[in-house]
Amino acid sequence: MSSSATPSSTAGPSRLPHLSAGQAPTAPSTSGDSESTALPPPDRGIDTGILKELARSALIEKLNDIQGQKTLILDKSLAGPLGLVTDIALLKNQAVDKIFWLESGPLNVATRNIVWLCRPKLSLMRTIAEQVRQEQARASSSGPVVFTLLLVPRATELCRKVLEDEGVAGDLNIQEYKLEFIPMEEDLLSLEMDDVARDIYLNGDDTPIYYSSLALMTFQRAYGLFPRILGKGDAAKRLADLMWRHQSSGLPEYRDFESSDQVDGLIIIDRSVDWVTPMCTQLTYDGMLDEYIGINNGSIEIDPALIDPPAPTPAPTSTSALPTTPVVKKRKHQLSSSKDRLYAEIRDLNFAVVGSRLSRVARRLEGDYGGAKNLKNVREMKEFVGKIGGLQGEQQNLRLHTGLTEQLMPITRTDEFNKMLEAQQNLVAGYDAMAQLSTIEEMMFQQSAWSGVLRGAVLMSLTNGGIKVKNLEAYKRDFLQVYGYHHLPLLIHLQTLGLLVKSPSTLPHPSPSLRKSLRLVVDDTNDAVPNDISYVYSGYAPLSVRLVQCVTQKNSILSAGPGTTDDPAQRTGKSALPQAHPIAGWRGFEDVLASIPGATVDIRQKAEGGAGVAVDGRDKAEGSTTTVVFFLGGCTFTEIAALRWMSKQTKGRKFLIATTGIINGTNLLESFGDRPPVALS
Amino acid sequence: MTILPSPTLSWDTIQNVFYRKEEVYQMAWSIPDLSDYLIAAARNGGPIAMIRDERKVMLLGKHTPGKPKIHIYTAAGALLSSLTWDLTPPILMHFTSTHLAVVSDEGTYRLYDLSNPQQYTQHTLGSEASEMGLVSAKGYDEGFVVLTGGLQFLEVAGWKGGRVTPLAGSSLTDPPTSWAIIPPDQSSSGHIEILISTGTTIVTLDALDRIDQRISRGPFSHILPSPNGRFLALLTGSGSLWVVSADFGRNLSDVSLADVMDGDEVGGIPDGAGWCGDNAVVLSWGSKVVVVGPSGDCLRYDYPPSVHLVTEPDGLRILSSSTSDFIQKVPDSSLAVFSPGSSHPAATLYDALDLFDRRSPKADEIRSIRADLASAVDMCIDAAGREWDANWQRRLLRAAQFGRAFLDLYNPSDFINMAQTLKVLNAIRYYEIGIPLTYAQYLLIGPSTLISHLLSRNLHLLALRISQYLSLRPDPVLKHWAAAKISRSKGVDPSERGIGEDEGLCRVIVDKFEKEGDRGVSYAEIAKKAWEAGRVRLATMLLDHERRAAEQVPLLLQMKEEKVALVKAIDSGDTDLVYHVLLHLHSSKSPGDFFAILDDSSNPQLTPAINLLQVYAKEGDRRLLRDFYYQDDRRTETACLEMQEAGEAVEPEERVGKLQAASKAFGEDKERLFEAKMVEDAHRLLSFQLAQERELDHKYKFAGLSVDQFISRLLTEGFSKRAEKVRNDFKVPDKRWWWVKLKALAGNKDWDGLEAFAKSKKSPIGYEPFVTHLLALSPPQPAQAASFVPRCDPKIRADLYVLCGDWGTAAEAAGERKDKAKLEQLRRSAPNGIAQREVDEVIRRMK
Repeated sequence: MSSSATPSSTAGPSRLPHLSAGQAPTAPSTSGDSESTALPPPDRGIDTGILKELARSALIEKLNDIQGQKTLILDKSLAGPLGLVTDIALLKNQAVDKIFWLESGPLNVATRNIVWLCRPKLSLMRTIAEQVRQEQARASSSGPVVFTLLLVPRATELCRKVLEDEGVAGDLNIQEYKLEFIPMEEDLLSLEMDDVARDIYLNGDDTPIYYSSLALMTFQRAYGLFPRILGKGDAAKRLADLMWRHQSSGLPEYRDFESSDQVDGLIIIDRSVDWVTPMCTQLTYDGMLDEYIGINNGSIEIDPALIDPPAPTPAPTSTSALPTTPVVKKRKHQLSSSKDRLYAEIRDLNFAVVGSRLSRVARRLEGDYGGAKNLKNVREMKEFVGKIGGLQGEQQNLRLHTGLTEQLMPITRTDEFNKMLEAQQNLVAGYDAMAQLSTIEEMMFQQSAWSGVLRGAVLMSLTNGGIKVKNLEAYKRDFLQVYGYHHLPLLIHLQTLGLLVKSPSTLPHPSPSLRKSLRLVVDDTNDAVPNDISYVYSGYAPLSVRLVQCVTQKNSILSAGPGTTDDPAQRTGKSALPQAHPIAGWRGFEDVLASIPGATVDIRQKAEGGAGVAVDGRDKAEGSTTTVVFFLGGCTFTEIAALRWMSKQTKGRKFLIATTGIINGTNLLESFGDRPPVALS
Repeated sequence: MTILPSPTLSWDTIQNVFYRKEEVYQMAWSIPDLSDYLIAAARNGGPIAMIRDERKVMLLGKHTPGKPKIHIYTAAGALLSSLTWDLTPPILMHFTSTHLAVVSDEGTYRLYDLSNPQQYTQHTLGSEASEMGLVSAKGYDEGFVVLTGGLQFLEVAGWKGGRVTPLAGSSLTDPPTSWAIIPPDQSSSGHIEILISTGTTIVTLDALDRIDQRISRGPFSHILPSPNGRFLALLTGSGSLWVVSADFGRNLSDVSLADVMDGDEVGGIPDGAGWCGDNAVVLSWGSKVVVVGPSGDCLRYDYPPSVHLVTEPDGLRILSSSTSDFIQKVPDSSLAVFSPGSSHPAATLYDALDLFDRRSPKADEIRSIRADLASAVDMCIDAAGREWDANWQRRLLRAAQFGRAFLDLYNPSDFINMAQTLKVLNAIRYYEIGIPLTYAQYLLIGPSTLISHLLSRNLHLLALRISQYLSLRPDPVLKHWAAAKISRSKGVDPSERGIGEDEGLCRVIVDKFEKEGDRGVSYAEIAKKAWEAGRVRLATMLLDHERRAAEQVPLLLQMKEEKVALVKAIDSGDTDLVYHVLLHLHSSKSPGDFFAILDDSSNPQLTPAINLLQVYAKEGDRRLLRDFYYQDDRRTETACLEMQEAGEAVEPEERVGKLQAASKAFGEDKERLFEAKMVEDAHRLLSFQLAQERELDHKYKFAGLSVDQFISRLLTEGFSKRAEKVRNDFKVPDKRWWWVKLKALAGNKDWDGLEAFAKSKKSPIGYEPFVTHLLALSPPQPAQAASFVPRCDPKIRADLYVLCGDWGTAAEAAGERKDKAKLEQLRRSAPNGIAQREVDEVIRRMK
């Protein structure tokens, strides 16, 4: 498998659509599931590397502008995102002497410059002010220290105000570092902002929408004007309006845009349009890792033994640990499809088939080295993996993913996991809601993790149009008694957001009709050989991604039966992929869209002065285009997987996924609540 | 060859180097003697300012009574405006691109807007300057330097009231005989430096240091840096002109002034001195002007009765009572084409055109320069740019065009650009406009500076046409035009203004902008001008056309249109802008007024601002938040805030108090009775936990546990009575109670207790959890687990036994139910050995 993947993933950015047809026969015929792991077609969509280079060089420039040796004080929440655009260790070249975390407490600095690099958060401003005062009080031998504050992505009035109130604004040189879209993978851009959904939907603070609009404008500067912007949701509408506002502001940086010849449109999905999806337990490999181990800024914390075998020479693949981080047991490992081909192969698979996929890779490795053996389960595989030598990288990747799979496997075998999954699936299918509520309550009585129990209830409220007052109050009462009364504000906030409400509710309740009109529940799903995006939840198709299909793959919603192009088994090795149809707005789904609360967006953008002629001679009709899907408020790994799967179903259209951040149901709910109470004295 | 009035008529040589002097204008002024005036002229063909030099003795009757006046003329001597100067005598007049700066000897300076010279801003240089007075001052593009009576140099960076910073101590005891500024872009340090002639040496001074250059030839009457900053011309007291490199490292020439004067009766220190480009030094004594070459050769001119020299980057302007002349080293391209006997291909090309025009077959000579034709064409184009006379320009361009015809491939853009540029230059050189800008100067300053020069002369139409002709953005012109239009109406009494005049003016401006302007002309600046001119209504109207809220909002706040500012900020979607307004309002209004402005009950548009206020206040100003909630009757929010603060409280008593407050706040909203009850319970729980801690002599820590955790803890520690009490007090449902107790007892490995509990009554959660939970412990307890299997549903007993690892009993259980299928399944899945045999045994017995 991966040997045949090699040429395609290292192939240049050539756009040769006929290759995908030519390549199909080379796919091994071991099983039909080659579809799910289909080689990334040679057509890879647009090159997002520019954005990374932009972010990297901007940082270096900012640092170089500050003369002399510097001590860098770094906002912890920025370490991950920065690690994605530059190797933090390389900042030494910019005369960065030492790097510390931004935490309250005195500094011990010997350099001429102190540079704080942080998000514009008020609490951080107070810490910085305190540190500035301390440094000023400290008599310095090496002359006055120069204080610089680099705010990401921009310096806000609020920060200036706080610094002024603290009396240090005049002593600080306040600068901005515009860090916007970070390419996490070549088909995935993220703003890596935290708690966006809370800000927008709960607090009514549209700052993330504004930042998103700026980032999308920058994107258009690089790749041209989106010929069409589609979207669903009130916040999506506000974002589209803002983009239009920038566009028509006449600001020099937004002038003279040409219509893009690489991108055919932007689809904005407002998270508030689809809360159901993140509430369900993600069932892809990436999704499971995020739900149960946690992926932050593309990195996962793992037992070092999983990457470094205890005995042989260690070869750390990647670590963004800072010099000052205390040595912890867990180690950060960056999951990257370009460095780890095995990961690229399995990240979007339904977890149910990951084990067998890994064992097949192991067997192939084994075949490569001759030692034939029959591997029955993960444990045997692991033992086996320890034995084979050579091909260190591949072996190492296999060890890592086998190890991670081994951690996840027992979770999927628990009663708790399976009961909850069943309840979720019954709820999205609209089947016997009350029975599911009892299951959820039973989980609660067993003191199962609060987030899962709450996700279940929210799912019930969303799919059932609320929960009867009596049941809801009993649930809440139990919830507070089991997990603590400090969750009460969270429950109120969920009510405010319409996520946990009493029935009959005044809110619109489109769930039952959507289930049908958008085929949200698919019975004949096949985890191993997906024939529909619903494989990511083993039978539930994310509404968010279905909406994208309404625009880009109308057939896949309308025709579900066999004999259509949706049957991958028929297609493999034989016919070429069908040509993607051009974007024609929401046509055909107007009623469906109208039934979902929130505004519907459909804007055609035209470049001024009729510019936008394709100059590179690429034939647009034959060629390929990229559709950008922007998730405002964050997206899940399952949604990413579904869109990636869709990229492989037609020829002529790739999806570029952009998001404010990557979320899951648990961290989403956590962000809606207060911080846990502090320990009492 | 026919004799044409050749351009070389104006040429002269100094040691084989050609210089040319052209009369550019006949002056329109009638000033008998320039030496009666202090004169300042802007570079690059800019205007000229003069004021009567008070130090000069006046003939009776020549003196004009009243306050002295500053007259501003074009370079062609046409009066532009006259200003009354009512301060102490000026020591410096200096033109910036848009203003005339005049510095008085008491340290006050004024900036006159050239486009509206009656308007000025006045600044002072601080107490030292005003007490000690100023000795002298010199300006450069970005600011100026003054020497105070206390012999301290002060630097003023930027003309518009920039900061005054003292330079390093000069250690002077007497005023220097001369000094000069080295601007930052020409100094080696990148900061401003000055050169001071003191004693026999020259001292370099900057903000930090004073460096003696250790020169012994001083004192110097003039220190003149060349326009490009690479050379210095020094006039020594002993009467010689010494030219050195800027770092004093290389001697370039040393000429005795006595030789220069060639026995002329005038002598001594020259009245005027300047650089002619970077090529030669020009000195003047009275009416005599001498261009001095490196070895002492010179050119002499006479302009009775007096002259004023203006150094230009590529030459020198000589102003006299009657003319404005321009002298420069002949540019290379002109030299190539016109120099006598030039063998340059350009000369051949030019001659060929001449011959062609006269239908001479010799024109065919052009073929002899085939290889160099392209460079000949380029040269002719460039030479065209260097001529003042349009006839010559045309002729040279024609020569270029002629040569082009013989070239296969030639990019015409240079040709077109030159033709365009000359059209512009000729237009502005026209004497009525009077800007004698050379091609070299034009290249140096660029078209946009030219435009701003034209704007400072209020030549809007010309500026607009030139902008359009050169495809520049017309915005600056339009903005300036509109501002001028508004300020012209300033003097009019508002009551005399006709009805609808604001509308009219606004419409005129908007129409013009839309017709001539590019998309995105900013109206905010114009609106600001209108506001400053006291036309608030017009300002508001104009501001409505502004598309960028970031531009609108600050002005609206200044105009006290707070509510409008807030709405505009919200509309912009830029939350930071909203905060800008909010913070402004918060600091400038009383709390009552502040909240009144924010009242969104009447205006739902304001909701986003209120949301943002809460976000900010939650982090930055809790008191403001409480006040806001209170005045807006937001009980739920108040309660949630109390809850949040309860969670942040470290002191138990404080947390109890916060919970009580939260419960009270919820209770005031009848929609929140459930929440009020819940918080009441939270309060009760914490109080009870604290009481129990006290009762048990603080050996245990209960505070902060949830109900279930608390019960579990009490059971684990063996306080089952207390646990029962909590159960009853908080009406814990049976199912939950059973789960908690099961887990607590199992965790304690209290098997007897577990057995007793299981028997105490029929378990509401069944007995299966007993089995599964015991197996899930680590280490698992299969034996204990198996003991609960008989209490479970018979149907699943076999499977549960299997989980406990007891295959035999599992088979028995299946056998009791005569479940053959199950038995068969057991047999298949049982591990080898005893387990399998036990299953087989049961199967055999069944038969």
